[in-house]
Amino acid sequence: MADLGSVSRRALLRGGTGLGLGLLAAPALAGCGPASSTPVDSGPVDISLWTHDPGYITTFETAVAETALMRGSRFDFGVDITNAAPSDVVTRMIAQAVADGDTPDLAGIVIDQFPRVMVPGIAEHLFTDLTETVEPFGDDLLKLAPYTVDGVPYGLDSDNSITVYYYRQDLFEEHGVPEDIETWEELAEHGERLNVDSRISLGMVATGDNGSIVNGFLQFLLQRGGGVFDEHGEIMLQSAEAVEVLDFMARGVSSGFLLALPDPYGSACAAALKSGRLAATAMPNWYNAYGLQANVPDQAGRWRMRTLPRFSGGGHIASTMGGTAFTVLKGKARSTAALELLRRVYLTREGQLLRYRSGGYLPTLRSLYEDPELRSIEDEFLGQRVFDVYRRATDDLPLFHQDAGMQILTDVLGGPVLDALKGRTSPAAAIEDGLSAYRQQVKR
Amino acid sequence: MTSPPTPRTRPPTGRRAVDAAAPSWWLRHQRALAPYVFISPFYLLYGLFLLVPIGVGLYLSCTEWAGLGTPRWVGLRNYQDLMTDSSFWTSVRNTSLYVVFTMCVVVPAALLIAQALNARGLRGRDMFRLAYFMPVVISPIVVALVFGLIFDNEFGLVNGLLEAAFGFGGVDWLGDPAWARVTVVILVLWRWTGYLTIFFLAGLQNVPKELYEAAAIDGAGPVRRFWEVTLPSLRPVTAFVAVTVLISTAQIFEEPFLLTQGGPGESTLSVAMFIFRAGFQRQQLGYAAAAGVLLFLVVFIFGLLAMRALKVGREQ
Repeated sequence: MADLGSVSRRALLRGGTGLGLGLLAAPALAGCGPASSTPVDSGPVDISLWTHDPGYITTFETAVAETALMRGSRFDFGVDITNAAPSDVVTRMIAQAVADGDTPDLAGIVIDQFPRVMVPGIAEHLFTDLTETVEPFGDDLLKLAPYTVDGVPYGLDSDNSITVYYYRQDLFEEHGVPEDIETWEELAEHGERLNVDSRISLGMVATGDNGSIVNGFLQFLLQRGGGVFDEHGEIMLQSAEAVEVLDFMARGVSSGFLLALPDPYGSACAAALKSGRLAATAMPNWYNAYGLQANVPDQAGRWRMRTLPRFSGGGHIASTMGGTAFTVLKGKARSTAALELLRRVYLTREGQLLRYRSGGYLPTLRSLYEDPELRSIEDEFLGQRVFDVYRRATDDLPLFHQDAGMQILTDVLGGPVLDALKGRTSPAAAIEDGLSAYRQQVKR
Repeated sequence: MTSPPTPRTRPPTGRRAVDAAAPSWWLRHQRALAPYVFISPFYLLYGLFLLVPIGVGLYLSCTEWAGLGTPRWVGLRNYQDLMTDSSFWTSVRNTSLYVVFTMCVVVPAALLIAQALNARGLRGRDMFRLAYFMPVVISPIVVALVFGLIFDNEFGLVNGLLEAAFGFGGVDWLGDPAWARVTVVILVLWRWTGYLTIFFLAGLQNVPKELYEAAAIDGAGPVRRFWEVTLPSLRPVTAFVAVTVLISTAQIFEEPFLLTQGGPGESTLSVAMFIFRAGFQRQQLGYAAAAGVLLFLVVFIFGLLAMRALKVGREQ
């Protein structure tokens, strides 16, 4: 036994202080270190999930409590949610990875933030390769392209984000605009007339920030059959389709057929919708909830939707804009469990139906658009069976590819596209200006 | 015979014996080192949270790094690229415009408002103070929403008023590059004038009344008193305000980011936004660090020149 009598009071105090500080520091230091990496193979598991959208929180919380969806799983899932802004999800995830800290198990990355992780060295180090997971689904699984890096899929989209044409049926009837009009060009003639007669526009273009401007342009461009990047990440913007689409938009703004608004969600757009100044717009499926129902709930029953009018030069009857992919962080104790949860919620019929019911997210499995349960759903705001429209659109949906340079392209293309929309430059010159700036900046 | 008295404690042995024989290193140097120990917390924190980040920033500015993996050393290439990057120079021009406007319009406006608020017999002084200070405490998000609606091209209040009063209202405040810059500086004026007014007001309240009385007796009118009494008395406050405004406006971010996100195109992009965009939207962290180093150098040099010119912190 130690001879305590030989320990001075000062030494005892020093020792006690050191021990106390050590005990205090231990949990703090442990908290700074990486979480345990012993793989969890079964049993209770709390999946750490980062997302920007409360809809996904509801979806996953509902999913883990759904007995039928989780039947047969060796895991007993729970979710530990972190809610952050879209850009913060990526920024903090990378910061945590650099610090060897606690990254999420599942991360929801908004489509326009995904190019940040397409930069060499990020996606392949952070995310689980989903090739084997998606392989059995083949062409039935839609919207993998925007989240594929060097041929490897890293994310599953939550929503098909199908662009359709929303229109005020009452105003169309009142002003003699046929609901089944075939082409944009025919619609533009009616739009010009309506603007002169009643100051009503039949579509909108965004003129606010570069992201909104380029997204609006891209939506039409994809429908026309063009694109910005091909599947290999090569820029393909210098095309006749791009010039044609921008010219169509510029003429639409000039004639008043298309209304120039800062963005499709803000107060100006709300004013345009409320006043009836904006009687129609081409926007994705989620605009029903986030744009129309949010701003003009009193107009329920007056709005309808249909597939997009075609461009007379060709293209599709639908387009796409937006989306959020969920990725599984690799090399973590709960990676297997997270992948299992994602597979159940995103790649099963029950999971896709649950996602539609909990957040209105359209299925990403093509075959589900024939599902009787979905086909029978009647949208309360629009008063129609929406899957009749979505099914036709899904059959003719363009593919959207992006690349690490997408953010740069958005920054440098926004200004020239806006100049073209405002008539300050020609569409061809605007495309050329944007491409020239892109090449100069991406070379770096 | 008596036995010798037993010592009450045993004589020290081993290490304690050595300790007793020679004072420890700490005891020998305690007096000399104690002051440094006392001031060490500041230097430790200063080094950890200022010098280390600056050093890391300088190192990163000479690398290419996307955020993960090992940064790749590229020497001064990021700086060379910045010199030929048209977006960077656009942001420099815009920031210079904001700085010049703030120094030439916002600071004088704040001084004049402070002078007005300091007038004798002013009724509702506190209400005016509150009104002028209010923009500083309003959430920037609310400011962005409200200004977005006020200056909207189609549905905006300003265009509506112009239409009603003068018959024209088609100014594209946020969509035209030149007007967008004007809108940003209007927001800066609205947001910061009241804040700076508080500094001038505090300075004005410290100007001795006797000076005004003496000037009045000498026949000086209100304008002369302002030039000969108020301005010289406010010189230290003015110098402080000018230097801090110069430094903070050179790093302007919130106003253009919230109102226009740097657009249309890049017409309202500031240097701080350029850095944010490179670092957190494009994952070009080395490039962003290089721009940050340049911004630091420019702000440091101009701040130093302004301090010398205005004699901040020197005896009169």
